[in-house]
Amino acid sequence: MNITRRDFLKIAAVTGGAVAVGTPAVKSVLALGKKPAPLPQYIPTTCEMCFWRCGVIAKVIDGKVVKLEGNPIHPNSRGKLCARGHGGIGLLYDPDRLKTPLINTGSRGEAKFKKASWDEALGYVAEKMVKIKEKYGAESMALLTHGTISTYFMHLLQAYGSPNFAMPSFALCRGARGVAFELTFGEDVGNPERLDLQNSKAVVLIGSHLGENAHNSQCQEFAEAVGKGATLIVLDPRFSTAAGKAKYWLPIRPATDLAILLAWINLIISEGLYDKEYVAKYTSGFSELMQAVKDYTPEWAERETDIPASLIVETGRVLGKNKPHVLIHPGRHTAWYSDNVQRQRAVAILTALLGAYGRPGGIYLNPKKKLEPVFLSDEDYPDHKPELNKGNYPFAGDEGITHAIVKSTITEQPYPIKGWFITGCNIMKAMPNQKETLQAIQKLDLLVAVDMMPYDGVMLADVVLPESTYLERHDDFFVVKERALGISIRQPVVQPMYDTKPGWWIAKELGKKLGLEKYFPWNTFEEFLKKKAEIWGINYSELSKNGYINFPESEKPYILPGEDFKFKTPSGKIELVSKELKEHGFDPVPKYTKHEQPPEGWFRLIYGRAQVHTFSRTTNNPSLWELMEENVAWINARVAKRIGIKNGDYVVLINQDGIKSNKVRAKVTERIRSDCIYIVHGFGSTSKLLKKAYLRGADDQQLISKYAIDPISGSVGMRVNFVKVSKEV
Amino acid sequence: MIEISITGTNAITFPYLEVWDWRIVVYLFLGGLSAGTLVMCSIANLRIPKQPVEELAQCFKAPFIAFVSLAIGAPFILLDLGRPFNSFWLFLTFQPLSLMSWGAWGVAAVLLGNVFYMFAVIPPDKRNLLKFAFFVKVAQWAASKMRTIAKINFALGIFLGIYTGVLLSSFSAIPLWNNATLPILFLVSALSSGAAMIVIIAHKPEIKFLFTKIDIWLIVAELVVILLFFYGLYTSTAPYKKAIEPFFSLTSEHFIFSMALIAIFLLLPLALRIKLGELKEFEGEVHGEFTKHQIFRMNFAAILVLTGTLILRAAIVYAGQLTKLSSY
Amino acid sequence: MPKYVMVIDVEKCIGCMACVIACKKENNVPPEHYRTRVVEEVRGEFPHLRMELRSELCNHCEYAPCIDACPTRASYRAKDGTVQIDKVKCIGCKACILACPYDARYSHPDGYADKCSFCDHRLKEGKTPACVETCLGKSRIFGDLEDPKSEVSELIKKYDASVRLEFAGTRPRVFYIKKKFAGGM
Ligand SMILES: Nc1nc2c(c(=O)[nH]1)N[C@H]1C(S)=C(S)[C@@H](COP(=O)(O)OP(=O)(O)OC[C@H]3O[C@@H](n4cnc5c(=O)[nH]c(N)nc54)[C@H](O)[C@@H]3O)O[C@H]1N2
Ligand SMILES: Nc1nc2c(c(=O)[nH]1)N[C@H]1C(S)=C(S)[C@@H](COP(=O)(O)OP(=O)(O)OC[C@H]3O[C@@H](n4cnc5c(=O)[nH]c(N)nc54)[C@H](O)[C@@H]3O)O[C@H]1N2
Ligand code: SF4
Ligand code: SF4
Ligand code: SF4
Ligand code: SF4
Ligand code: SF4
Ligand SMILES: [Mo]
Repeated sequence: MNITRRDFLKIAAVTGGAVAVGTPAVKSVLALGKKPAPLPQYIPTTCEMCFWRCGVIAKVIDGKVVKLEGNPIHPNSRGKLCARGHGGIGLLYDPDRLKTPLINTGSRGEAKFKKASWDEALGYVAEKMVKIKEKYGAESMALLTHGTISTYFMHLLQAYGSPNFAMPSFALCRGARGVAFELTFGEDVGNPERLDLQNSKAVVLIGSHLGENAHNSQCQEFAEAVGKGATLIVLDPRFSTAAGKAKYWLPIRPATDLAILLAWINLIISEGLYDKEYVAKYTSGFSELMQAVKDYTPEWAERETDIPASLIVETGRVLGKNKPHVLIHPGRHTAWYSDNVQRQRAVAILTALLGAYGRPGGIYLNPKKKLEPVFLSDEDYPDHKPELNKGNYPFAGDEGITHAIVKSTITEQPYPIKGWFITGCNIMKAMPNQKETLQAIQKLDLLVAVDMMPYDGVMLADVVLPESTYLERHDDFFVVKERALGISIRQPVVQPMYDTKPGWWIAKELGKKLGLEKYFPWNTFEEFLKKKAEIWGINYSELSKNGYINFPESEKPYILPGEDFKFKTPSGKIELVSKELKEHGFDPVPKYTKHEQPPEGWFRLIYGRAQVHTFSRTTNNPSLWELMEENVAWINARVAKRIGIKNGDYVVLINQDGIKSNKVRAKVTERIRSDCIYIVHGFGSTSKLLKKAYLRGADDQQLISKYAIDPISGSVGMRVNFVKVSKEV
Repeated sequence: MIEISITGTNAITFPYLEVWDWRIVVYLFLGGLSAGTLVMCSIANLRIPKQPVEELAQCFKAPFIAFVSLAIGAPFILLDLGRPFNSFWLFLTFQPLSLMSWGAWGVAAVLLGNVFYMFAVIPPDKRNLLKFAFFVKVAQWAASKMRTIAKINFALGIFLGIYTGVLLSSFSAIPLWNNATLPILFLVSALSSGAAMIVIIAHKPEIKFLFTKIDIWLIVAELVVILLFFYGLYTSTAPYKKAIEPFFSLTSEHFIFSMALIAIFLLLPLALRIKLGELKEFEGEVHGEFTKHQIFRMNFAAILVLTGTLILRAAIVYAGQLTKLSSY
Repeated sequence: MPKYVMVIDVEKCIGCMACVIACKKENNVPPEHYRTRVVEEVRGEFPHLRMELRSELCNHCEYAPCIDACPTRASYRAKDGTVQIDKVKCIGCKACILACPYDARYSHPDGYADKCSFCDHRLKEGKTPACVETCLGKSRIFGDLEDPKSEVSELIKKYDASVRLEFAGTRPRVFYIKKKFAGGM
């Protein structure tokens, strides 16, 4: 069906293009009163239903988006979209969208909203911001942000004079992995992760529940690997979809993954299964590593993990046999326990021992080309007090740490935080310990939310600014670091509905009101994009027509045999033993930490993704809600029988702090260990403005009233809460 | 242990079929009743060939009842149509493999034949009640062709009775329905309900008595066929075996079907018992008028039979949709 | 005459449900109704479990009981061999829904019966069906069985392809490949 693809592209190329936006198809005058079927237009853009950011081609008929399809030339989509990508239409036409700016007339968080004009709402915000700056200094404004809108609001915040922003993507998501890989290989594995899954002969998934975690091209490659017969080893206390594909499902006791990783490292070294040439040439610290792990035997690991030693040995040998075409999936949501970086370090070390970094079937290399940064303005940002958004964590990343902002807001240390911007982030669902969050916002003088939907976090705001959806707006170019470097464009496929505005417009107009207009030296964002394209030497109209442009010559996925490859670590080698960690007083080689296990009668609360939802943000999306209206609590069948719970019963989960969840249906199943309960993250919204999502299912975050912190990176451990199940609903 | 979760189910087919409901039950019941009544009535007419019609068509109400039953019953299937205003399409084609198509044409044919029968049985002294001279003529003509019309109506009645069963049994995807015994069962019970109906509407003791006797045989046959029906399914392959489970399960979910079966096996034998009692009482002969008590007893037995027939159809229509071939 | 078939490589389905929603959008399937579904079937007891992920849709049967059941020829076999519904002729009697052994049909809120069309409108444009195009696992493969070199022909030849409810005698045109590799759980 190759011809089909090409034909399709041709159609896209002929009828697509930004100019076509919103213009209805030509109506024939001669059609004798009968409207001819309007011709569809195909307009490329970039998906924002999650952060994979696939290339999308929108099919628009009569100014209405009827279908979204994957852009075949975009490496993240490869002509396909995941369920959520298709569900973008549901977001666009969700009747519960934010339609006008809103101002809360009640007390903080009361959500007594009155409609306001943009001028009024932005004026209100600007006035308060000026006051905060006068009284406490600009640094006292903080930004909690996620997604593309971050670009404009980080810019605005810095122009205003504050460095204090944080994204959930670090401490609550992939931060620990990034730190561990930087410490080991000198660079993170990227976003999208540079995983050469399609060539893997053996794949280890540690939690990573691909299929349910629906990151598009990664899933495509995963299926391809499975289809080619790669040996799949899945560590998960739950029989995930991926486990269903696996040759080895290791139902590991939660919180003990480091044990099996260390045992594998030990086994692979002691049995000489590692890639000797690679290790000798590219790594440092091998003998120290060997010493450090020698006590981590399979028998020891069996006691920790519940996985039979024989299976640990067997699977370890599978890895050795298939090296270097082995992928130990580095994970993405790695905010699990208090030793996230060390666990991820073990993953990195194992990858290195198998010679899989920069090798086919392992982790491929970054593209060779780099694009020079083009800033939103050439103006320098004003000086400021030292930032507090990284807390006291020596390896905290530049994306900032959300809980550091929350803590400082509550304690006013090292200085007070008096205003929060929340853009593209649901602070009630993304961040643990909701009580702490609510406590923090009571300290504020200003809380502004920029969002598209009235999700829980938005309901807390003093001022709500409605952003247009990704299908209605321009955004900054996305630089795609796949095998080759590429650029993806986001452009409106229809005109904004209601009185909503793109993020860039909101930031710019607010900037104007704050007297920061010099930081926004462009009238429309497209103007800026065109300039940027020019600097980068790419053809804007071609990009706008095709949605994606790449630089094929930038592709260099593997280290060549014998190549003198320099890693970006201080030593230029893969650091099996981390000098940097040692210097900061941490274990240079991961050491096993025992985590508390649930007492008798309690279960560890674990959570994950559903293929048809993205966090909390799609729970009200009509197209996706239909496929999954609420989450269910997975309970082991034997346990359920013991406590008298039947499949489909509504139950309530109660955590160690006595917090009760909303009612949730029990999924009584053989597919989970007896010591944990699993729910899909994001449900149980408390926002009454969400007609579909309101009080549907249970909120994992509500039950995560306790969290651990990884002292190395500030990464959060969210799987440290225990729950009981109650039949009283 | 099997755990199945499905994304993308349609309520009409999952977890079980919910395609046809009480409207079809009413259609099948009234259709069967009409069929039975027509057949019984024509038997009455054809039994003693030589006698003049006027005297023999004692059950002259019967063709009316048959007509009215079907005329009320047939629209119930229209009520069930998703696009009733499209139903003219039914008459622009005939699809020999489609029982719905047979039904559309068949019901029309039965109603037409039935109309002539109605004309034929109008007693001569009542013909003047027909408003138009043309109708009076038709009635005269029909009366003269009584035997032929009765024969045709006998055939139409048998057809309609079988059709109500074949309609269900033609669905190979539905194990409970898809067997050859079902049409026979439906025919026998339709005839039985027809006989019961005649017992109720007839005035003459001879007629009542005659159809009481006929019904005894039909009830016996029906009970035997029901047993054969279940036996046949039980001895068949898994989906078929599974299909009769609702009738033999006492779990709360399917309790109603076991109740239905129990009801059928209480009502019909009870009716049988009463009828046999009547038989004994009169010992083959009827002497003059029945007493009120006797009439009540006969009618009561007949109503038991009609109720049993209705329950049988409802149970089979609903239970059939619980088990699909695709469960295997 | 082409003989359109779909091959479903069960091993490659990762249960992403993209097909389910892509089909809905492509064909404007009303809320709470579906033309295709994904069945996740798990057997066994902890920790010895096996999973099958199987997408299901109309089989475009060669002997289609739904066509036989239809009183108006609203359900018919199109020239390209697929089984289609003419909603103008459909009276909504639902006989076809009962007749289909595969539960492939549903009743559209507008009264007519509806089901998977193999995206015949897309085939005419030279595209593959929407569910196939978006299938993340490339688990759904579409093509012409008359063409011996097509991917579907090769797959059916190479592997032991089965159909759903073979004993129903409907000769489905949706084939399932269930086992490609020896071993595994
Ligand atoms: N459909 C969909 N896909 C998504 C997203 C989405 O919202 N929706 N979000 C995207 C984002 S940003 C991220 S970060 C990723 C997250 O997706 P992943 O990185 O895959 O998330 P994990 O936390 O690794 O995976 C959750 C799994 O871990 C298992 N688990 C729980 N505790 C333990 C344990 O102690 N040990 C082990 N081995 N397993 C455990 C759970 O049973 C569950 O199956 O998903 C991405 N993809
Ligand atoms: N308990 C628990 N907590 C978690 C996780 C978990 O699995 N369990 N996962 C963690 C992970 S991995 C991550 S990445 C984070 C995700 O954290 P978030 O990104 O905060 O995720 P959401 O809950 O989806 O909230 C997103 C909010 O942004 C809004 N939004 C979406 N798109 C846009 C847009 O284009 N413009 C604007 N203005 N607003 C938009 C949505 O309407 C919604 O209100 O959560 C983390 N927190
Ligand atoms: S993975 Fe899915 S939701 Fe995420 S960007 Fe791609 S299509 Fe959109
Ligand atoms: S699967 Fe069902 S609807 Fe499709 S052709 Fe076969 S019988 Fe007809
Ligand atoms: S519902 Fe429509 S398509 Fe189906 S059998 Fe009846 S008329 Fe034919
Ligand atoms: S072929 Fe088309 S209609 Fe059929 S299931 Fe796939 S997308 Fe739906
Ligand atoms: S799109 Fe493909 S891989 Fe995804 S659920 Fe459907 S059939 Fe399976
Ligand atoms: Mo994440």
